[in-house]
Amino acid sequence: MTRGPHTSALQALWIVLILGFLYIPIVSVVLASMANTRYMRFPHKVWSLDAYRDAIASFTTWQIHSISFWIALFVVILAVVLGTLGAVAFARYDWRGRGVFQRLLVLPIFFPQPVLGLALLLSLNAVGLAPSWKTAIFAHLVWIVPIVTLVISIRFFGYDPAQEEAARDLGANRWQVIREVTLPALWPGIFSGALFAFLLSWSNLPLSIYTSGPDTPLPVWLFSRTATNYSPLVPSVAVIGTLISALLVLSLALILLAAKRVRARRP
Amino acid sequence: MLHDTTHITDRPVILSLAGLSKTFGTLKAVDDISLSIPEGEFLTIVGPSGSGKSTLVRILAGLEAPTSGDLFLRDTQITQSPANKRPTAMVFQSLALFDHRTVGQNIEFAMKMKGVPAADRRNRALELLQLVRLPEDYYSRPVTQCSGGERQRVALARAFASDPEILFFDEPLSAIDYRLRKTLEVELKELHQRTGRTFVYITHSLEEAMVMSDRIAIMQSGRIVQTGTPAEIYSAPVNRFVASFMGEVNILTLEKDTGGKQVFSEIGQPVQAARGAYAMIRPEALELGPGEITTQLTVTQRLMLGSRTQVHLVSELGATLISELPGTAPELDIGTTHPFSFSTEDIAWMDE
Ligand SMILES: Nc1ncnc2c1ncn2[C@@H]1O[C@H](COP(=O)(O)OP(=O)(O)OP(=O)(O)O)[C@@H](O)[C@H]1O
Ligand SMILES: [Mg+2]
Repeated sequence: MTRGPHTSALQALWIVLILGFLYIPIVSVVLASMANTRYMRFPHKVWSLDAYRDAIASFTTWQIHSISFWIALFVVILAVVLGTLGAVAFARYDWRGRGVFQRLLVLPIFFPQPVLGLALLLSLNAVGLAPSWKTAIFAHLVWIVPIVTLVISIRFFGYDPAQEEAARDLGANRWQVIREVTLPALWPGIFSGALFAFLLSWSNLPLSIYTSGPDTPLPVWLFSRTATNYSPLVPSVAVIGTLISALLVLSLALILLAAKRVRARRP
Repeated sequence: MLHDTTHITDRPVILSLAGLSKTFGTLKAVDDISLSIPEGEFLTIVGPSGSGKSTLVRILAGLEAPTSGDLFLRDTQITQSPANKRPTAMVFQSLALFDHRTVGQNIEFAMKMKGVPAADRRNRALELLQLVRLPEDYYSRPVTQCSGGERQRVALARAFASDPEILFFDEPLSAIDYRLRKTLEVELKELHQRTGRTFVYITHSLEEAMVMSDRIAIMQSGRIVQTGTPAEIYSAPVNRFVASFMGEVNILTLEKDTGGKQVFSEIGQPVQAARGAYAMIRPEALELGPGEITTQLTVTQRLMLGSRTQVHLVSELGATLISELPGTAPELDIGTTHPFSFSTEDIAWMDE
């Protein structure tokens, strides 16, 4: 295929449009955070960083972030463990009822989340559990574990299970087979699964609204303060939240990269 | 044959199978197999697809538990011992190389599991690369960047690295093109002679088995129907299944005619002193011209096989036969009828 100058110009335009489409909303939130109006409105005349000063000084800012962080952390750990086990059962072994298991597993993903949230709240009430950040973890897991399971399962396509038998034949015990063969094959899936779990939990609104009770995670706070009682504090907290999650994801990636380097150097 | 097999049968038995069976539901994949394998033997198990070869070799390697029967390594019963506790190694049909590792890491796997220090592992891996004729710089190459034949050699080196007493091969050459397969067959045979290990090789190609083995066991629906040296199996197949498995042969059926005489039903010729219900006659034993047992046959097809010619023939009774003649056999035009003959000495008799 030959590419004329027009094609590449069109291509560049296309990319700019897409990036613009993706980033304009984010930029506008950043702009809104630097206003001092009581309404979210453009263009605004006075520019200030007061909102950030307030946000950083406020106890609420840290509280909502730490609630979101702890929920996301537990969701990541539990979803990765359950998702890995699920993927092994889902894709690696053939057993009676596997087809049913596969269908049941993906079902929660297709439930509208507000409906799922409401249903979970009702069941919590039924068993007499008071909603809190802990019950929100459970609610997130119901929706996120199936997704993580699917993400990890993908690694099993093109995986030759005879590798495990070969390892065993060459003297590896059960645990060594898992450590030396199964986990290395799954590792990229586990990493993407963890990333998905974190981001889906960190930004989840519809499940948290119903199930987090008096503990307010970041998205719930943003939503309620946008609806009532808006101030530039809202977009500034949103910006801080975005930065924190980006930092967390980035540092996780760096840690993993460093770990891989160290392992690669040790033969 | 490359070496004298009588020595091998005198050697002590390394592996004995005593009535091994494996059932999957109602299917008897392996059906009451007993066999003794002497130390240093190259035994090939041959059978068509689904005859239970893989299941049998997986039982021997400890990857599958038999439903009944016992397995002995020398005098020790090892029926229940798991694969990682047996001094055996297997080369798999899919090779089962560790995809996310280098050639060196693949080869070193067994030594790593044993806790051999890294420097020693590396030295041994380099030796093994030489043994399987791979250049040393393949050591740090990812296995995913190796060609089919190279992967084959890596799998072989990896199996040897565990220093096994017995090596199992489950059709490792089946996915490889003809010429490379021929080369690897010869190399494998040499490797067997050089290392003196016991090889148990699985294939569905009797031709491959003939080239490499000291002894062949032929499997049919879970049972071993015949064992013997390639020469024994070639000259005296026990039944029509084994005979036809060897390639193109003529099989004639005996029946009594109205006078109570024994005749070959395909050609209508009588035979004295029949020693079985079926007779196998090799294509090269069916000669042009009259002889001990003569019949008129019409040429339907003529194929040149280098220095020989193969002709497909049809008898007056409508049965097809095959003959192989030296040279180009110019007189055998398609459609012409000639006398062909064979002698009773060349018949291999079979009961079923
Ligand atoms: N795990 C299993 N569960 C059920 N049936 C099985 C299982 N493994 C093998 N079989 C059946 O047992 C029979 C023998 O299979 P096996 O793989 O041993 O044959 P094979 O001789 O190795 O064939 P091929 O040459 O095609 O590899 C087949 O009918 C197969 O379908
Ligand atoms: Mg097989």
